[in-house]
Amino acid sequence: MGYINTIIILGGINIIAALGVAILTGYTGLFTIGHAGFMALGGYMSAIMAKEFNVPFPIAILIGGTFAGLCSFIIGYPAFRSQLRGDYFAIATLGFSESIRLLLNNTKTIGSIKLGGAFGYMAIPNHTTVLVVVIAVILSLFFMHMFVTSQYGKNCIAVSQDEVAAQMMGVNLLKTKMIALFISAFYAGVAGGLMAFYFAYLSPSFFTITKSSDLLAAVVFGGIQSLIGPVITAFILVLFPELLRSFAEWRLIIYGFLFVIVMIFRPQGLLGYVEMNFEFARVWWNKMFRRKQSGTQEG
Amino acid sequence: MELFIQQLVSGISIGAIYSLLAVGYALVYSVYNFTNWAFDGFMAFGAFMAFTGITSLFMPFWLAALLSIVLTVILSVGTEKLAYNPLRVRKAPRLFMMISAMGVNLATVNIINLIYGGTFRKFPVDNLQPIFIKGVSIGRMDLMAGGISFGVLALLWIFLYRTKWGLGIRASSIDILTASLMGINNNAVAMIVFAITGVLSSVAGVFYGIKYAVFPMMGVVTIKAMIASIVGGLGSLPAAIVGSMILGILETLVSGYISSTYRDLFSFLFLIIILLFFPNGLMGKSSDEKL
Amino acid sequence: MSEEILNIKNLTVDFGGVRAVNNVSIALQPGEFVGLIGPNGAGKTTILNLITNAIKPTSGEINFKGQSILGKSPDRICQLGISRTFQNIRLFPQMTAYENVELGFHSEPHYSLAEAFIRTPHARKIEIDTRKKAMELLEIVNLKEHSHARASSLPYGLQRRLEMARAMATSPELLLLDEPAAGMNDDECNDLVQLIRQIHTSMKYTIIMIEHHMNVVMDLCRDSRIYVLNLGSLLAVGSPTEIQNNPDVIRAYLGERKQHD
Repeated sequence: MGYINTIIILGGINIIAALGVAILTGYTGLFTIGHAGFMALGGYMSAIMAKEFNVPFPIAILIGGTFAGLCSFIIGYPAFRSQLRGDYFAIATLGFSESIRLLLNNTKTIGSIKLGGAFGYMAIPNHTTVLVVVIAVILSLFFMHMFVTSQYGKNCIAVSQDEVAAQMMGVNLLKTKMIALFISAFYAGVAGGLMAFYFAYLSPSFFTITKSSDLLAAVVFGGIQSLIGPVITAFILVLFPELLRSFAEWRLIIYGFLFVIVMIFRPQGLLGYVEMNFEFARVWWNKMFRRKQSGTQEG
Repeated sequence: MELFIQQLVSGISIGAIYSLLAVGYALVYSVYNFTNWAFDGFMAFGAFMAFTGITSLFMPFWLAALLSIVLTVILSVGTEKLAYNPLRVRKAPRLFMMISAMGVNLATVNIINLIYGGTFRKFPVDNLQPIFIKGVSIGRMDLMAGGISFGVLALLWIFLYRTKWGLGIRASSIDILTASLMGINNNAVAMIVFAITGVLSSVAGVFYGIKYAVFPMMGVVTIKAMIASIVGGLGSLPAAIVGSMILGILETLVSGYISSTYRDLFSFLFLIIILLFFPNGLMGKSSDEKL
Repeated sequence: MSEEILNIKNLTVDFGGVRAVNNVSIALQPGEFVGLIGPNGAGKTTILNLITNAIKPTSGEINFKGQSILGKSPDRICQLGISRTFQNIRLFPQMTAYENVELGFHSEPHYSLAEAFIRTPHARKIEIDTRKKAMELLEIVNLKEHSHARASSLPYGLQRRLEMARAMATSPELLLLDEPAAGMNDDECNDLVQLIRQIHTSMKYTIIMIEHHMNVVMDLCRDSRIYVLNLGSLLAVGSPTEIQNNPDVIRAYLGERKQHD
C-alpha cells in the first residue's frame, strides 16, 4: 500500500509539473529544458515559508508557485523581447536552471535559515499525502483546461502555429508569452512545493537537467497541444522506472531515441492536437453528462 | 600584472574552445535555422573517442585525435541523415527539429554514461611544462588549444570564402530554396555542414577534455558556446568568435579575481544583460521574417 | 474634403544597397477602394509590410487617422484598425476555420486573466457573443459549412477567403489585401470580385488591394484610383481608364503584351 501511495504521489507531482511544460512547449511552442529550476525555486520557497514562518502549507505552496512564476520573468522578459524566436529562450531556460542549482549548492544559510547548500534543506514538515496530491492534480487540470480553452489560451495556440500572423492579427506576443511562462513556472513551482512536503527535505541534486528532460519527455510523448496526453505519459514515466528498476540507466537513452522517432513518425505525440484533445474531451464529457441525464429520466 | 597576463592567456584559450563550438552552432543555425542541441553529445563523444584511442588502443595523441574526428564526423552526418533530414524534407516546425536534436543529445550522453560511467577522467597527455616568458608562466596546453583552434577556424574561413563548396553553403544560408534552384545540391550542403560540425565538436571536446577532464556531462559547457553566440549575434560566424573570446576572457578573469564558484552564474547574468541591452547580440542584425 | 484615413508621405526603405521603396506617397479617404499594381519586385508587398510595421522604413511618414503609426508594434497597429491578408497564405494551420476567425476577435482578450481560469457568466457571455460574430463572418465568406474543418485541409481558394474573414474579425477600418485572387481561374475571380465588393460596401472598409489579375483590379477600382509601382517608385496614379491609357504604364508594365499584339 505504501508503495502504491509513493507512485500516486510522485506521479501526481510529475503530472502537475508536466502540465506546466505542456502550456509552454505544447501550447505556446516555446521549448524549455530548464523547468527543474522553477521546481527548485517553488520547492525551496514553500518549504522556507512553512518551516521558518509557520505559513499553512497550502498557502506556502501557492507562495512558492507565485515566486517561481515571478522569477521566470528574469529570463522571459529579455528573451521574449528580442525578436529571434524560440532559441534564445530555450538556452536561457537551461542557463537559468543551472544557475539556480549552482546558487543553491553554494548557499548554506540565508540569514538564520539553514538551506544546507549541497547537503540539502532538512526537516521540512511532511504534509503531502495521497489525498493532497489527488486534489492538487484535479485542481491543476481543471484550471489548466479552463485556461487553454479561454481566449488567452487560444492566443497561445495561435502564437505557436504562426507567430508573425498572430502578431499581425493583433496578438501581443510579449504579453501572451509572459502569461504562458508565468503559469508554466507557477505549476512547476507548485510541483516543487509538493515534492518538498513529501520528501521532507530538498537537495539541489533533485533539480538537474535530467529532471527537466523527464518533464519535456512527458509533453513530447503525450502530445503537442494536449493536456490529457502529457497527464497520461507523465504518470506512466514515473510508473515505468519504479516497476523496472534495471531499466533505470537505459531510461534516458530510450527517451532520447523516442524523441527522434516520435518527431519523425508521430510528431503530434500520443494524443496531440485539437481533435484528440478538445473533441475527445467533449465526447467524453457529453457521454458522462448524458448518462447522468438519462439516469435521472429513468429514475 | 603577471597574474593578469596568465589569466588573459588562459581566457583566450578557453575562448578559442568556445569559438569552435559557437561556430558549429552558428553554422547550423545560419543554414537550417535551428539550434543543434545534439552538439553537446557530439563533443563528449569526440573527447571519449580520443580518450579510448589513447588508453585502450595505445595510439599516439595525433592518431587518437584523428580517430576521434573521423568517428564524430560519422556520428554528426549520421544524425543529420536519420534525425534531421526526414523532418526538414517534411518542412516540420523548428520546435520539432529542436526536440529531435535534444533526443540525439540525450541518447548520446547517456550511452556514453552507460559504457564509461559518470566519473571524471584525466585526459592522458604528458604533463607539459609551462613556458616562461619574462617571468610569466604560460601553459603549453593553452597555447596549443588556442593555436590549433584558430588554425581550424582559419581553415574553415578559407573553405567558406575561397572555395566553390563554401560559396554553396553561404548561398544556402541566405536562401536554401533559391540556392537549390540555382543547382546547389542541398544534400551535399547538409553533409558538408554537419561534417564540419563534427570536426569542430571533436576538436573542442579533445581540448576541453585536456584542459579540464573527460566525463559524460562535459558537453554542458556548450551552453557557454550558445551564450557566446547569442552575445555575438546568432547566425553569424565572426560574431560567434567575438562573443566567445569576450565570454572566455571575462569568465577567466571573474574566476581569477572574484570567485571560481560563481563563474557560471556570471556567464548567465552576462547573457541576460546582453539580451536586455542588445536584443540581437553585439553584432547581430534583427531577423525579419519573409512575408 | 474629409480627413484622410491613411496618409503615407515620402516613404523610403533600403534593403542592403537596394532601394525597395523610393519616396512613395499615398493618401486615402475613408471608404475608398484603391488598387496597387506593378510588375514583380516593384515593392507592392513591401509597402503593406511597412504599413503594418513588419519592416521598418528608412525614412518617411505613415499616418493613420491623423496619428503617426511609425514604430508602433504590428499588434498595436492591428488594434488601431489596420488588418491584412498575406501573399502566401498564413493561416493557423492546425486550427479550424472557425478558430482562425475567432482569433481575430479575441487577439486582445475581452475579459481579464482571472476570468480565464474561472469562466464567469460575464466571460461566458462574451465567448458566446464572439462565437456568433465569428459564424456570421464565416457565412459572409461562404465558409459556414467548413467551420469545423482544419484550415490546412481547406482548398486553396477557400483558404484565401478564410484569411479575409480572419482579417475582418479584427474589426479593421483599413483592410490590406495582398493578391486575394492569386492562383484563381476566371470563374473564381468573378465570385471573389462580388464578395470583395459586397464586403466593401456593407462593412464600410477602406481597402488597399494588391492584385495581378487586371480584370479584378479594373473592376473593383472602377470608381476610384489605381497606384502603379515600378522598381520601388510610384509610376502613375489614376482611374482604371487613365492607367490603361498611360504610355509610361504600358511601357513598364504592359509593354510585352503590346509587342505581342
